[in-house]
Amino acid sequence: MRSSGAPDHRGLRHEAALYNSEDELLSVAVPFLTGGAEAGEPTIAVFGEKNAELIHAALGDTVNISFLDATAHYSRPATTIKTYRKLLAQYVAEGAQQIRVTGEIPRAGTGLPWEWWARYEATANHAYEDFPLWVICAYDTRTTPARVLTDVTRTHPHLVTADGERVANDRFEDPAAFLTRSPASGADPLEATPPMINLPHPTPADARRAVRAASQASLLDHAEVADMVYAVNEAVTNAIHHGRPPVHLRIWPRLDHMVATVTDRGHGPPDPYAGLLPPTPASPAGVGLWLIHQTCSHVTLGTDHEGFTIRLTAGVPDLTA
Amino acid sequence: MLRVSWSTRTDAAQSFGRYDHVCWAYDEPGEFHSAVGEFLTEGLTQGLRVCYVADGDTRALWDDLGDLDRTNQSAVQVRSLGERYPPGAVVEPVGRMRAVAVATEEALAAGFAGLRVAVETTSLVRTPRQLDGVARFEHLVDRYMIEQPLSVLCGFNRVELGEATIAQLASLHPFVNESTPLFRLYASAYAAASLSGELDATNDSLFTTALQHADLRPTAGELVIDASELSFIDHRSLLSLANHARRCDATTVLLGDLPSAVKLIDILDLTEVRIEAPT
Repeated sequence: MRSSGAPDHRGLRHEAALYNSEDELLSVAVPFLTGGAEAGEPTIAVFGEKNAELIHAALGDTVNISFLDATAHYSRPATTIKTYRKLLAQYVAEGAQQIRVTGEIPRAGTGLPWEWWARYEATANHAYEDFPLWVICAYDTRTTPARVLTDVTRTHPHLVTADGERVANDRFEDPAAFLTRSPASGADPLEATPPMINLPHPTPADARRAVRAASQASLLDHAEVADMVYAVNEAVTNAIHHGRPPVHLRIWPRLDHMVATVTDRGHGPPDPYAGLLPPTPASPAGVGLWLIHQTCSHVTLGTDHEGFTIRLTAGVPDLTA
Repeated sequence: MLRVSWSTRTDAAQSFGRYDHVCWAYDEPGEFHSAVGEFLTEGLTQGLRVCYVADGDTRALWDDLGDLDRTNQSAVQVRSLGERYPPGAVVEPVGRMRAVAVATEEALAAGFAGLRVAVETTSLVRTPRQLDGVARFEHLVDRYMIEQPLSVLCGFNRVELGEATIAQLASLHPFVNESTPLFRLYASAYAAASLSGELDATNDSLFTTALQHADLRPTAGELVIDASELSFIDHRSLLSLANHARRCDATTVLLGDLPSAVKLIDILDLTEVRIEAPT
């Protein structure tokens, strides 16, 4: 089936297009977008400035196509899901039978942390499954690291080839299983050094004091420090209430960023989508974890033989590891 | 001068002004009697009528006061709580508030600069219903003391009441001695109330209870709270404030420097709460 045609599936269709030239990107994006616009479907393109201009120029008529700025839209995965769900619900309420989105997470794994976007791509299969959404996620194979491309193929049930052919992806993994199996990477190089704060058995109040003290060694602004105080408070609160003792807080402040880890001996949240999906009346737990995914620069969750660790970053994450 | 609108911990029952309201939790009665002596002696030096109220007959109460200066007999009073409240009695907050106002006015009419009371209230907060009555009264009297020259030291026996009850009572006082809750909600001259300290998962239910006891009411659709001394608030307490605002059909406005709360309010779409920088 060509990407310009309607899919044979009326629920969520989550596809990845791995392109290695501008022409390949256009060969997928242009017919997809024009097909949506011609069918009267809500049609959205979410790209960075360069590719947005490229697609814009190739389309000619963009009257019925909405362009969103990828840098703003893909700032944090939990925020992206919240925004998309609100937008999709609005389109459905207005009578949309199908909604088309194609977009590109900016600087995936090259200038911005990837780990929580890998979780996003897996979670998308669940987060949007109640909408008639057809989405193509574009990745440039010339610049995207191999480990990111591996995660992309593990999280998209369909792949779109350069000539617009869409094929079932036999490397796709069940999203919950992917999220449960994938160990958290994303350790900051700072963690190879002794932490400034090394605090066993912290209370939430202890944790807040520790962040404020550590922030004296950084140039983070008042609001960034306040967000980090909240994030560490929530992580410690969750560890105390839902984890297994002992709880341990470590903080590494540097001039442009601060990393904190909170470790307990438990297995982490039982919900594999925890932190990325908004709480609902039916599932109200995890509000704090969901909120800190929208206030930190990066959050990773990881479980190993020693227990569960949540890593929180404020400021500019160091990706040199 | 009106009460300075800030709260703090205190280790001594002195250096208080004519409008101050102090929670004094103690383990040993002797410890409390010393605090009463300091508090009332200071009141006499400020030209206040002083009054000691506690369980027991009045002779025993005079003994509790030790060597307090009684030169001016009309300046020092004792009242037996048991004569007014039989065992198990529930304080009617508004009636008790009126009685305190009358006593304050009498002190002023008699030429004193105001009234200072040290009261041992343990026997009036033993049951949940009793506690609700006294807690509500504590906030009412706190509001009265914003503008009227009444200062009160409220004594509670921690051993008999336990930390949870002490925390509920202490959270409604601008001044507390040691063992403090993380936050305090008390009257303000400039806003519906003042909020100080830190609000997190360890005290969010206590905060919800304090909001119920204070029963803050909006003015012109806004419930303005001076939060300049509030250093942390999490999403739980923001949700409590939103719920309270919804019940009052009002918007809660926190005057304070709380940048993370601004972000949480935005993410949670809490239209009933907003943060404003204090002017």
